[in-house]
Amino acid sequence: MEKMTRVSGTVSGCTMFCHLDAPANAISVCRDATQVVVAGRNIFKIYGLEEDGFVERLNLRVGRKPSLNFSCADVMWHQMEENLLATAATNGAVVTWNLARPCRNKQEQLFTEHKRTVNKVCFHPTEVNMLLSGSQDGFMKCFDLRKKESVSTFSGQSESVRDVQFSIKDYFTFAASFENGNVQLWDIRRPDRYERMFTAHTGPVFCCDWHPEDRGWLATGGRDKMVKVWDMSTNRVKEIYCVQTIASVARVKWRPERRYHLATCSMMVDHNIYVWDVRRPFIPFATFEEHKDVTTGIVWRHQHDPYFLLSGSKDSTLYQHMFKDASRPVDRANPEGLCFGLFGDLAFAAKESLMSAPQSVGDVGRKTYPGGDRRYPIFFFKKPDVTEQFAQVSSALSVFESEAGSSVGMDWFINTAQSYLLSGKPFAELCEHNAQVAKRLNRPQESTTWTMLRIMFSEPANPSLSSNHNLNKSGNLPLVNSVAFDHKTFTFTLFLAARKSLQTVYEDVFLCAENEETEGSEGQAEYLFGDAELDDDDLYSMEHDNQAEEPEYLLPQEAFPLRHEIMDHPSAPEPVQEKPESPHVSGSEAESTCLTPMESFSLISVSQLLFSPHLPPKFFCPIVKEMLCYYAEQGDVQMAVSVLIVLGDRIRKEIDELTQEHWYMSYIDLLQRFELWNVSNEVIKLSTCGAIMCLNQTSTTLHINCSNCKRPMSNKGWICDRCHQCASVCAVCHHVVKGLFVWCQGCSHGGHLEHVMEWLKQSKHCPAGCGHLCEYT
Amino acid sequence: MFVARSIAADHKDLIHDVSYDFHGRRMATCSSDQSIKVWDKGGNGEWTCTASWKTHSGSVWRVTWAHPEFGQVLASCSFDRTAIVWEEIVGESNDKQRGQSHWVKETTLVDSRTSVTDVKFAPKHMGLMLTTCSADGVVRIYEAPDVMNLSQWSLQHEISSKLSCSCISWNPSSSRAHAPMIAVGSDDSNVTYGGKVQIYEYNEVTRKYAKAETLMTVADAVHDIAFAPNLGRSFHVLAIATKDVRIFKLVPLQKDSSSSAPTKFEVQVLAQFDSHNSQVWRVSWNITSTLLASSGDDGCVRLWKANYMDNWKCTGILKGYGSQVSGQPGALSGVLGSATAQSALNGATGR
Repeated sequence: MEKMTRVSGTVSGCTMFCHLDAPANAISVCRDATQVVVAGRNIFKIYGLEEDGFVERLNLRVGRKPSLNFSCADVMWHQMEENLLATAATNGAVVTWNLARPCRNKQEQLFTEHKRTVNKVCFHPTEVNMLLSGSQDGFMKCFDLRKKESVSTFSGQSESVRDVQFSIKDYFTFAASFENGNVQLWDIRRPDRYERMFTAHTGPVFCCDWHPEDRGWLATGGRDKMVKVWDMSTNRVKEIYCVQTIASVARVKWRPERRYHLATCSMMVDHNIYVWDVRRPFIPFATFEEHKDVTTGIVWRHQHDPYFLLSGSKDSTLYQHMFKDASRPVDRANPEGLCFGLFGDLAFAAKESLMSAPQSVGDVGRKTYPGGDRRYPIFFFKKPDVTEQFAQVSSALSVFESEAGSSVGMDWFINTAQSYLLSGKPFAELCEHNAQVAKRLNRPQESTTWTMLRIMFSEPANPSLSSNHNLNKSGNLPLVNSVAFDHKTFTFTLFLAARKSLQTVYEDVFLCAENEETEGSEGQAEYLFGDAELDDDDLYSMEHDNQAEEPEYLLPQEAFPLRHEIMDHPSAPEPVQEKPESPHVSGSEAESTCLTPMESFSLISVSQLLFSPHLPPKFFCPIVKEMLCYYAEQGDVQMAVSVLIVLGDRIRKEIDELTQEHWYMSYIDLLQRFELWNVSNEVIKLSTCGAIMCLNQTSTTLHINCSNCKRPMSNKGWICDRCHQCASVCAVCHHVVKGLFVWCQGCSHGGHLEHVMEWLKQSKHCPAGCGHLCEYT
Repeated sequence: MFVARSIAADHKDLIHDVSYDFHGRRMATCSSDQSIKVWDKGGNGEWTCTASWKTHSGSVWRVTWAHPEFGQVLASCSFDRTAIVWEEIVGESNDKQRGQSHWVKETTLVDSRTSVTDVKFAPKHMGLMLTTCSADGVVRIYEAPDVMNLSQWSLQHEISSKLSCSCISWNPSSSRAHAPMIAVGSDDSNVTYGGKVQIYEYNEVTRKYAKAETLMTVADAVHDIAFAPNLGRSFHVLAIATKDVRIFKLVPLQKDSSSSAPTKFEVQVLAQFDSHNSQVWRVSWNITSTLLASSGDDGCVRLWKANYMDNWKCTGILKGYGSQVSGQPGALSGVLGSATAQSALNGATGR
């Protein structure tokens, strides 16, 4: 902490950059963090770091025709001697520069011992005159700056040296990384043999960096896109962290004052600089995205300041990055995943800290004590460090399954799809059946609709059907009857309303239903809005059992004045419009007490008489069309399509082909999602759209092999052309299969579905004994 | 109404996406730990991990299933700037991995120069098409001309949205009256850049995608976007996760078929909820598009439903883990909570 406060006084600035004349290869800062040297193939300059910009201080590249010695692969500023620099030249020269020299050419010493490019130079952190170099020729050399030649040469016996770094804590140790993936540790006093060697990466190890504080921690980066942290302090070199980046790692630098942080950059593809927390190796802690070309050199501006990073790039710019301006990928990373399943279940994954956040919704109102939980003394409570929070993270995954029978689930859809009858019976019976199905599944609105449809479109010329029906059942007045009864009235209302405005009144009816609900008892209102009730249908199926008055006025409402009332007051008289709801009055008691069979019968017949002579079914088409669209827009395409199919020609022409096709497609898609193949095929078969009907006409060819001779069968029945045997013999019971024949596509053997299923329970092998491990898909 | 089942996902870092397959029996999760896990639902409703493999060299942002007609196919996208198509191969796994299915990398799409933030398959009726969007604002549409060969993908369209993209959603409508349409959301937080949701529509005449609409009222960063399943509707419903949950209704206006101009829409805001009191990260529709789920920084899932008056209301709040279910008492029965609620102190004293 002391150091930091001292530093923050001296280093300040902002995110800034300057253009260089040429691409940079390496950069280095002087110890007091006021100047930076940039070196490249065609550049060698010193810039001063001012508060608001870079200022060019010195161009070291002098002479009319600069020699290759100026073509730098690496540069390092001495951390103790502020006038001393060293560069590694691409021609194999190691050069030292003394800024204190009075003349323009600051070159101090020239060592030309390496045969090939020198990749790296490194001053000893505490020994002023010691310089180390690593070269492409596979040798490392240690120079004493007081002598003209190297004092010792280290042969890695491996491939080219990519990086050499003196240990910060151990005076005699340095690390070298190689192109073949090895890292070696050397004692500077023993040039004959390395102390340790281990394979760090697959492919070249481009860089390494000793941890500034933790003795023995070495970070290495390689072309395999990994950064690894090794602990050298133990007997066996141990990999303690591994960070996977998205491109090869060209430079790695530990961040000052942050034990687990390091910065990396790449020389391939990726132009960004990343700062990682090695404990969370997957998401960069921070990213600097300023460079337009690959970053070649990074260095922390001051060895005790974690907030300033300098970088040079092939795009010929030199940047100072401020940590506060870095982008934080984790902030943009989505901490949650959410998906609705087909059956209404919900998968939810979220960061654990979000899920266990103290202010859950229920607690919002609760007062929180300043300083947190009272159970703990206040001095224990400390705001968690940002970096600590960053490192400790995980997600919890849970699935919310819709309970069986719950309104969120999709059981109703499957049941409905399977139980609805769409063809094969007279129209009225289909409607009747479907109304029953809907009712059984607790979907009164749909049930009502079916009943209404039956009434509307039943042949008016044949009233006997419905009246007979009523007659037959009038004896015990079952529920169905009362439904039919009430919905005639409803239809009737609609019919009357249609005179002024079909649509508005249709809506009125629903509106009214809503009013009834919302104005109902308090419990109901809560049920509607306060409760987590999801089912649309329930909105319509309010339990009216407790409303005792309902049955009482049930009968009077049915009297003839009704009609006049509506005519006189076309503005939707309320008592009538409550009727649509009344089927849900639990029928039995209501009917048995208030309606005698006789009355009921007479009323029905009268109400039928009322309009049947005047109203052809066609009259209802606009309403029905309206209704189908309503269902479709409510997301219940099942109802729309089922009605469409059952009504058939009665309605088809009213709805344009494109819409019909759209409904069919949507419904078929839904059915296939639920794997209701049979229903789906039935719908396709019953549809009248050309585009739909051809759906099950494609890919209907099967190619089969004879189960005896294994040759492809011709397409003429089950007798094989070649061996003249019947190919469809059950391998289990050896009889010819009639009906469903299943067979393994691998060995062509098969048989009766049930026999094969039975067999497969006991054995995986083919029942024919051919030794094949059959797979039935 | 819901029973919570906690799953030990065992991902080493944040899970960014969960995705159900077409039939709702499989689930895929992806995480920053660079892996994808596939979960299969057993007969007893238990989810078991049947595959887990390292996929990318960066955080995997999204994972999505293709229509099963094309096989068991997944696509994933990552911070490492690639999107990958995976296919499950049956019957070729070696014995030591018994019980683990075998996913093969079919192709790697490397066109993006920045993080690929979302990947989505187009609706089935368009064929086998894949869309990606990336942080540099480019939406790319690929097509596999041969559905039997998932290793061949050709880049069909490149749409530049000019804003950093975070999410895309295909309009699922299969109606011939609706041209193929994609909504693109941007997580650019600069409010002055205008609308963060753009809608592109395919034009039959020019054979290109053109911008049809920008939702100018959405000015904050958008994290997720989802068209509701269409199911025979004439209009489109779009849910948006931004600093709140929003639901838009897009009603196509009649256009004369000869013009090559994109469809005009009448845009209505159906609902807007800020009950999460924070960023909303995800929105998801149920299959009948009657129920919308959203999740936000408050760690809750909220369920939204419209009544027959098109009034959208919150109908449930779900909390899966660690703390009690809140909301209306008795509304959500028996949500489990593995009682490992972390004390607030853990973070502070954990060092």
